[in-house]
Amino acid sequence: MTTLLIIIGVITLIAILMYNSLIGKKNQVDNIFAGVDAVLKKRFDLIPNLVASVSQYMEHEKSTLEKVTELRAQAMKPGISDDAKIALDAKLSAALGSITVAMEAYPDLKANENVMHLMRTLGEIEEQISAARRAYNQSVTDLNNAIEMFPTNLIAGWMNLSRRAVFEITVTERQNVNVQELFNR
Amino acid sequence: MKSTAELTDFYYKELYPSLEELEKTRITIVSQLKWYGGMGIVIFSITALWMGKNFGLLHPLMIAIVIGFIAIASITYRSMTGGYAKDFKARVITPLIGAIDPHLLYNPDFMISQHLFERSNLFQHSIDRYSGNDYVKGSIDGVPLEFSDVHAEYQTRDSKGRTEWHTLFRGLFLVAEFNKNFKSKTVILPDQAEKNFGSLIGGWLQSINFSRDELIRMDDPEFEKHFVVYGSDQIEARYILSHSMMERLLEFQKKISHPLFISFVHNHIHVGIATGKDLFEPAIFTSLLDYKRVMEYVNTLRNTIGIIEELKLNEKLWSKE
Repeated sequence: MTTLLIIIGVITLIAILMYNSLIGKKNQVDNIFAGVDAVLKKRFDLIPNLVASVSQYMEHEKSTLEKVTELRAQAMKPGISDDAKIALDAKLSAALGSITVAMEAYPDLKANENVMHLMRTLGEIEEQISAARRAYNQSVTDLNNAIEMFPTNLIAGWMNLSRRAVFEITVTERQNVNVQELFNR
Repeated sequence: MKSTAELTDFYYKELYPSLEELEKTRITIVSQLKWYGGMGIVIFSITALWMGKNFGLLHPLMIAIVIGFIAIASITYRSMTGGYAKDFKARVITPLIGAIDPHLLYNPDFMISQHLFERSNLFQHSIDRYSGNDYVKGSIDGVPLEFSDVHAEYQTRDSKGRTEWHTLFRGLFLVAEFNKNFKSKTVILPDQAEKNFGSLIGGWLQSINFSRDELIRMDDPEFEKHFVVYGSDQIEARYILSHSMMERLLEFQKKISHPLFISFVHNHIHVGIATGKDLFEPAIFTSLLDYKRVMEYVNTLRNTIGIIEELKLNEKLWSKE
């Protein structure tokens, strides 16, 4: 009888520990996403300013600038899901990247101190976003592992936890890594 | 900043007159030491023989005599070499540091403050004895930095009430301004657990370290193999430790073969290189012109001050301008 009680006690204890660790991981993900959100918002705040000061110079990139404004508006909508936000962020990063590249063709723009200041700010925010993304991806990976691995997957199924999406590294970011290949061609 | 080759040239060419004089002093000291040493051994042997005949070699008085001889020997050694060491620092290390950068100040007797050492959060044990020397302060490329030799110790008492000293850290300690603003604390330590127990059990052991902040797992496997990161903010730790920063730290670790302790606190980077010895002390029994010795002095200085360039701390972000 006592052995049975001890076994039940141990199993309950393990179940509680697993439950708590899953909750801890889920909250970690939410917590870090709030941090991601905060830096993304910093970038959103910067975009109207950037578009306004750049548009008078960049005649040929009108459509890209419009796309950036539109993406920002979509991402700022209230009640948007985390996954949608992640997808929009990837598009926005790519669009902003192409603006930065296009800027090289406008010497007037590069001489404008206001624009250069904006670009530097954007660069630093970009770095903060990258850090936040990495932190988020790590916490999501921890959570996803726990959800799929035995034995925590049993409790996760019962708790109705589901896998979360990670931030994909955008195509432009991937290209940045392979600068060396350009020289090897 | 000058290259290692330029500094080696400087050492052999510009410092040659001073080196020659110092070398003469050194040779005199060595011959004196040999003479005193020989005398000491003879006197000691005679005393020991006499003691052995009259009282037996294991007599308590014998122990006192041995201790007395060791004490006299070390006092003599120190008083004979102290002046030479001081001269060496004034005439060799001082100009060498000046050659690396004229804006650097050097004080052989001063050390980095205990406050900065404790602020780094690298070593959590309380410090009972703190000492150091060879303090350098200045700025490289507009980045303020300071470093010195540090020896931090703590005391324990065993059941019999005997006190024992333990070294917490001995080596070079450097503090420099970091080029990014941050509010959190991030601590990077040599990875012992993962090396000894593998990544699965080691990683688990690291995560239950109660005395530290949260474990931060970095997304660079090579970096994770060498270091373990604890921090109070998951995002900011990655903001500081960008991919390129992790690579640079790894490169730096490969260059110096001693355990590396790094922390980011209060907008500053703190670096502890646990060499386990006192740097810039002249060796009495090897020549000052010995190439290996010279390279050691030059490389230590060059690598330490080179941290600024190596980690690109001089690349300022707009918010720090």
